[in-house]
Formats: sequence, structure tokens, C-alpha cells
Amino acid sequence: MSAPTHLEGHLPADHPLSPRRQYRDLPLIGRSLANYPVKDLWETDFARLPGPLARQRRRARAFAEQHLVPVADELDLAAHLPAGECHPAALEVLREAGRQGWLSYFLPRPLGSMPWRALPYPPIWQCSLIVEEFSRACGGLMLLLSAHHLGAMPLLLSGNVRNILRHLGPVYRSCERGDPHLVAFAITEPGAGSDVEEGEGAARAHPGVVATSTTGGWLLNGRKCFISGGDLARTATVFAALEGEGMESWTCFYVDCAAPGFRVARTELKMGMRASGAAELEFTDLFVPHDRVIGGLRRGWAINRATLNASRIPVAAMGVGFARAATETALDFAKRYTLGGRALIHYQDVQLHLATMVAETRAIRSLVWQEARGAWQPRQLNASMCKFHATDRAQVVCEMAMDLLADHGGLHERKVEKIFRDVRLTRIFEGTNQINRLSLMEDWQDQLLDVDQHMGV
Amino acid sequence: MIVEREDSALLLAEVDRFARERVAAATARAETPIGAAVLEQLSQEAAALGLLSTATGESGFGIWEHVDHAGAMAFNIGALTQLGRANAGVAFAWHRTALARWVAGQLALELDAASLLGTTLVSTGHYGLARTSVARWLKSAALHGDEVALLADWLDRGAHATVVVAPHAWRTLLWPVWSDGRIAWQLAHRDRLDVQPCRAQHGLDELAAFQVRDSSSTAELKRLDDAASRLIYGRTLKMDMIGLLAIAAGALVRGQELATDYAAIRTQGGKIIAGHPAVQRMLGDIEIARHHADVALASLARPIDDIDAGAVAATRVSAHALLCDAANQVVQVHGGIGYMCEAGPEKIVRDQNMLKLQAGGTREAHAFLAGWIGAFA
Repeated sequence: MSAPTHLEGHLPADHPLSPRRQYRDLPLIGRSLANYPVKDLWETDFARLPGPLARQRRRARAFAEQHLVPVADELDLAAHLPAGECHPAALEVLREAGRQGWLSYFLPRPLGSMPWRALPYPPIWQCSLIVEEFSRACGGLMLLLSAHHLGAMPLLLSGNVRNILRHLGPVYRSCERGDPHLVAFAITEPGAGSDVEEGEGAARAHPGVVATSTTGGWLLNGRKCFISGGDLARTATVFAALEGEGMESWTCFYVDCAAPGFRVARTELKMGMRASGAAELEFTDLFVPHDRVIGGLRRGWAINRATLNASRIPVAAMGVGFARAATETALDFAKRYTLGGRALIHYQDVQLHLATMVAETRAIRSLVWQEARGAWQPRQLNASMCKFHATDRAQVVCEMAMDLLADHGGLHERKVEKIFRDVRLTRIFEGTNQINRLSLMEDWQDQLLDVDQHMGV
Repeated sequence: MIVEREDSALLLAEVDRFARERVAAATARAETPIGAAVLEQLSQEAAALGLLSTATGESGFGIWEHVDHAGAMAFNIGALTQLGRANAGVAFAWHRTALARWVAGQLALELDAASLLGTTLVSTGHYGLARTSVARWLKSAALHGDEVALLADWLDRGAHATVVVAPHAWRTLLWPVWSDGRIAWQLAHRDRLDVQPCRAQHGLDELAAFQVRDSSSTAELKRLDDAASRLIYGRTLKMDMIGLLAIAAGALVRGQELATDYAAIRTQGGKIIAGHPAVQRMLGDIEIARHHADVALASLARPIDDIDAGAVAATRVSAHALLCDAANQVVQVHGGIGYMCEAGPEKIVRDQNMLKLQAGGTREAHAFLAGWIGAFA
């Protein structure tokens, strides 16, 4: 059967009434203003990126398709492993990702793997592009590779070159040798998820992890929970209050996970993103020397909030990756699956459905790129807005994909149900989307309280 | 046999007790789905209680044994809601097996009396709701050629694989097929079908998903005259949709309990989260969805032939959408713990999604409704 020349309900491109055909015949000026090349949408966006970021984006897609896609299903369905164990396929992905520079791209060579030509652009932008590509391939593996950057972010944000050279340098070098040294970010405490993500809650919260002064350093005691990658991390940036003080004393400690007193108490069986562990970490008189206090005593709250501002735009990019995966999967289904002898794509209502999905996906990508482009000092308002809106809409797109597949949408083999399970976490972590809405308002309040000030939106 | 509303209330009290004490208790660990043996044991207990029947005649007060008066429908809906609250997967299995027995009774087909869960049912074709065509056929509209061809394709069990969600060990499948310009029924034996087990499905973890094709078409067809064909198929479709909605409504009741309980003990910002307007908004969303479903189901507690299929389809679209959103709010109220399997809320989301996707899903319900009110394909 020959391929159709056009979708039903539409004129073929070579029809006399097809505007695209006529654009080509317009006089030069008209042609230059109206005629356009018909490119793949991903490629169209590619051309709009600065060259170095575009090349990173293409590399990320190639890596994701070569190394993440083939093992995504296996890791999603694998039995839940005991704390500290790593599936061989995930370990191999980590090794290869390290060798290719995907665990060290926040610093340029020779410290990290960021291309020098990417330096003029915010690292958050580069990170967002990579995260979208990895999310499209597998949410769990994306998180396995990305939580590491979240863990390392306080080292960068401390602004201390010694910290970067002493601590982050060896992490990056180890990763690039193919010996993945993961860093976890540990803020969440049992019963206090949102309190560590917004100020009003923190002001009333009772710290769960406490640092007690001792000779040569500090002893940490307490528990952190839902720590992404905490089960495999070799080091962690752990936030703790100083003994006898409140959350305002929060301090960031760079913890050696092999040190006595550190224990991975358990890992969670999650709805999705299963290739990445969510660990409960237990600290019992865990000694941390003075030189592993990051950014200074009582600077932890600021470092935590700055880290969240930096990470929320990439989390929004996860949403873009999942929405894109759902849309591409739905498109593929609609092109192949037939009803009444016609591929679904030929039905007008299916076209309307897919058009909405494409528009939603590209709208949130535009939002992410707009915010990431200027994210040298990511503002809380912008980062939070980007996170909650992109992830909320991304879930809607995933639901639309399941609806389009109808009876088939719940089958693992059709892939959309996994994408839904993965996207669901993005509305919860890095602050629930309710907390992120409040973060937007918190950051805006000075202007909002001035009744005479004209408000630009 | 007439089941008065008062009788229905008494029966439902018994079902409620059984659902809480046996089904909910046996399936309490959301992260560890029950196996086939536990499902069979629960089914035996349900049969002993009279909820499930192995007979195909109208003999008792089981689910879908009676559909021709309001009290019976109130019982069917109420029982499935209560069972859905306890466990959506178990409720779904019992709904479909009971519906299969009802259809078999209408067709005078003999089912294996020894196996409670041995027969399951699919009420629709291989994808969606046949656009406008099946609705127009049910309305006795004069179909044009494309519509007939579409219906033939929709119910072609050999050309397309049909998704079946059922207990692992199902043996026979009752499904509608297109024959001589109308819907006939086929009772197909598993060992004569091409059955591809799926690796996993999104929800209803107590069950399994299969892609089933009838390549040889050896199973005998049960053909009916035009009027009987429309009547039985129309009833079956309505009963399936009502059952799915009732189970989903019950699952949300459980979700609402989880959310309100959690909101009453979890603190954030120095006070319980139920005191935060952000959480109150979500609790309100959940209540709105539950209320909407309750009202919708109450409106369907009428003799099956008095219920308009278009009304059922329209109700299903709006109610399932609200129930899915509300289940997501249950997760959101819990925050991070809501995403963890052992807590329970994430399973409710997955089960809600699955229930929405069964019987053709809800996206094509718009076309079905257009056909129902007279629009052409």
C-alpha cells in the first residue's frame, strides 16, 4: 500500500490551492518573507539555540537514545533492590555518562566537561536542555544522572574556590574516569518536606538533623528522607541545624557517605522514576570535619534556597521532556494504529487532540528556555513559576496521550503509562507545586505591598 | 425479583462490612498486590455472601443479577462503590465477571459454574467507541457504508488485538463481534485464542493485561435479531460504564479518607496542613469530585432500560475526569509520601486512570454522543 500524500481533510502540499506551493512562486521579496522550510520541530528549535548549547543538546539526545532508551523498561520493571545495591544496567549507564561528561558539565575543562564555548550562557540553560533530552528517554535514569548535579550545586553556590577545587574537582575527575562519584542533596526530613522549601514553614519547624560541635568538627545526628540518589552517593551535601538553634542556623555539611555513622536506612518503592533510588539516610554521631562545612556556618538556608532556585528550571525541563515523550509516543501510535481501515492520524478529532499536545509541549519549552536564558542568578519568582506551570501542563499532556491511546493507554508496552508515572513526581519534588506558587508570591511581595507601585507582569 | 430500596440498604450494609473487613484488609498493603490465590479466596467468600453467582439465571442478589428496577440498580452501584473503596482491582474483576454472567444469561449461554473468575467480558471493540457509528446503530439510524465498515473493523477480533484486563487465570472471554450487520456475541476459550500477556499495566495491580486476538474464529457466534442485538448490547455497554464509574467513585472515597486523615495529623509551618488554604483547596476539589460522582450515580439508579446511553457516556466523561483530578489531589495533599507505593494514594491515581481507559476510554465519548444525538461519522 502506497503512503498517502496528505492527511484526510487537508489538501496535499502540491495542490494548486496549497499555500505552501504558492509561496515558492512569489516574487523574491514576498518569497523571502512568506516561504519557509518545512523542518522537524525539534530541529527548528535547534537552530534557535546558540551553537555550543545546540551541540550539547544534540549530544544529549544521542547519548539518551543510545544508552538510556535501551534499558529504560528493564529498569522500570526491575525488582526493588535493597538499599545500596545498583542494577548492573544502571551502573553501566552511570559509568558511560561519567566518561562522556554528563556528570561534570557545570564547570569547564579542565575542572569539568562543559565546552568552553558554552561559558557565555547560563549553566542552567545547558542543564535544562540536557535534562529534557534525558527525561524524554527515561525519567528514572534522568533523575539518577541529574540528582547528582543538585547535590553538587551547594559546592558551587558556596562561592568558595577552595571548596570547588578540593571537593568538586575530585568528584568530576572520578566521574570522567568512568568511576561514578555521585553527590546527593539532603534537605528533606521525615514529616517536614515542605518546611525546608519555604520560609514561613521553616520559621516554625523543629530541625530534625542536628549538628553538635566536637573537636575538629561536628557530629550529625538525625534522618533525611526521600533523598534522590542517596543510596548510591559517595558524598552528600547535608543540611543541619546547629545544636540548640533553629532553622536559621542551617548549615551545609559535605558528608562522606562511607564514614562511620552514615547509614542508608531504606529506599522507597516509588510510583515512577524507578531507576533512581529515593533513600532514607540516617546519621548517628557522623563526624564532619570543619573543612567540610560548605559556605560557612548558618549559611545553609541561603544555599538551600539558591540551590532550589537553580534546580527548579531544570525540573520544569523534565516536564518538557515528559510532555515531548508523551506527544511523540501518541503521534507514533496515531500514525500506525488503524480504525476502520484508516490510521487514527487521519481523523479530525485525533488531529485536534495531537495539535493541542504539540502546542502545550512547545509552550512549556518556550517558557523554560525564556527563563533559563536569563538564569545567571535565577530568581525565585521565575524559577518557581516555571517549575509549577511546566510540570502541571506536562502532566496534562501525558494524560492526553493516555486518553488518545484509550484501551491501550494502560499497557506498559505502549510506554505512555510509564511517562505518566514519571511526570507525576515533578509536581511534588523541589517543593510541591502549591509551595512553588507560594514561593512566587513570597518573592514578589515587596512590590505587591506597595499599593502605589505600577505592577508589570 | 424486586429489591426494594430498603432491602438494598440492608444488603449494602452487609457488603460494606465484607468490603471493609475482608477485601480492604486483604489488600491493605498497596505496594504488594494480592496474588491469584487470595483473589480466588476472596471471590469464594463473595460468592458465599451472594455477591457473586456461578449461575447464569436470576437467582439471588449478586452484582448485576438484577437490573430492571431501581432498587436492584442502587444495589449494583452501591456494592461496586463499596468494593471499589476497598480495592479497585478486585471490584473490577468481580464487575466484569458478573457482567459476563448477566450477558451469558441473556444469551442462554452456559458458563463454567465451577470457576467464579473463569469468564471475563469486554464490552467494546479494539479501540475507542467506534466514533459515531455504534451510537447511531444503537439508535437504529440508517448506517451508511463507511459506518458499517467501521463497526465491522471495530469488532473484528481477528484483525486487531483487543486489550483485556482480567484475573491472571481467566479461561473464557465473552465479547461482542460484528456479524450480518449487527452485534453478535462470542464466548471464546482462552486456549483457542492468541493471547499475549503484557509485561505490566498501569494500575489494577491485582489483575493482568493481555492483548487477545481470535485468529481462527472457531468459537460459535450467538446471533440475535436486530432488536435483541441492540437491546442486549446497549444494556451491556451501559452496565459496564456504570460499573466502572461506581468503582472509580469508591476508589476516590478511599482516597478522600487518606487525604483527610493525613491532613489532620501532618504539620507544616507549625500547624496541621488541613489549616492551610492550599490544602483546603485540594480537599475541596476532592469533595467536589466525590459529590459529582455521587449525584451522577444516584441518577443512574434506575431500571437499566430507563437509562439513556448518551447520558451514561456523558456522565462518564465528566465524572472520570474529575475523579482522576481528585485522585491526583490526594497524592498532592500527601506530598512526597504520596508518591511512595506503600502509602496508597499513588495506586488510587493509577487505578483511576485505568478505569477511565476501559470500555473504550472517554476521549471518543464525544463522537459517541454526537452520534447519539444524530450526527453522522
